[in-house]
Amino acid sequence: MPDFDKLDKAIHEKGRLAIMTLLASRVNWSFQDLKSELRMSDGNLITHLRTLHKLGLVAVTKEVRDRPQTTYALTIKGRTAFTEYLKVLEEIVKAGKA
Amino acid sequence: MNERSRAEEHLRVIRSLMERATIYRAISAPTALLGGLLALATSGTIWLIDRGHAASGAPAFDARHFAEIWLLNLAIVLTVNAFFLRQEAVKANRILLSPGARLTIRAIAPCLLIPAATTIWFFRNAEPIDEEIMVAVWIMFYGLCLLATALFAPRSLVILGWAFLLSGLIYVFWPKSFVADPRGMGPNLAMGATFGLYHLIYAIAIWAKAKTSASEVLAPE
Repeated sequence: MPDFDKLDKAIHEKGRLAIMTLLASRVNWSFQDLKSELRMSDGNLITHLRTLHKLGLVAVTKEVRDRPQTTYALTIKGRTAFTEYLKVLEEIVKAGKA
Repeated sequence: MNERSRAEEHLRVIRSLMERATIYRAISAPTALLGGLLALATSGTIWLIDRGHAASGAPAFDARHFAEIWLLNLAIVLTVNAFFLRQEAVKANRILLSPGARLTIRAIAPCLLIPAATTIWFFRNAEPIDEEIMVAVWIMFYGLCLLATALFAPRSLVILGWAFLLSGLIYVFWPKSFVADPRGMGPNLAMGATFGLYHLIYAIAIWAKAKTSASEVLAPE
């Protein structure tokens, strides 16, 4: 039987799961790209990103290209946590099928 | 909704988001630079050697040798590309055959069949090999390979794909009476201009875009 408590509660929340998924798909994302892909409000997105950053799952990079831009990426800890989260989800699905 | 259905729903959302968000650059900037320089050097060398043979009347390289030289070129560039993509994968802490890489292979595989079959057919059945048709097929289908990744490739790679495809078409339909080519150097120059020059421009363009004037990484709290 899979252990449901193993599911990382920080990632399990719908909004944060979507953010983690996008961050896992590319090297980094700008705030604007995340916002348009997820269709979240600025405040909502910032709150989730701040939570993930505080937990050490997401790294924040401030760059100056033509204009200042903030990009987000998964940290090694974040990528590991996301992979673990996926494993647990798969275990739950497999256990349900058995 | 039970735990299993909820887990399945989460996995579905994750898969759909990842598929939508995947951007994969099948040709790295260093590969494009190296491949471009190698193609220009090859094209230039063939041209210079042929000029040295001008007095003898016959071309310095027959079509078979010409094709072998460019296939060797391709093998070198593919090896280099695999090396650079592996380096990028290690740097980004992901496997070489990432979902993006697998998606790319699946997308370009059908477009590779025609040039591969044409080349093999020419080597086995055609004597002499028709360099012009072979080069046109290489250029156009390379463009199609790049365009096959358009749904998840960066814009620069799509533009490169169109440049190859259109150049191949122009090469096919270009009236031969426009430019005299007694030494049959057209295919060699077409290879140098497309695989050489276009890759160089592509490498410079993506490097220029990636250059940042300042960067500050905030450590996780």
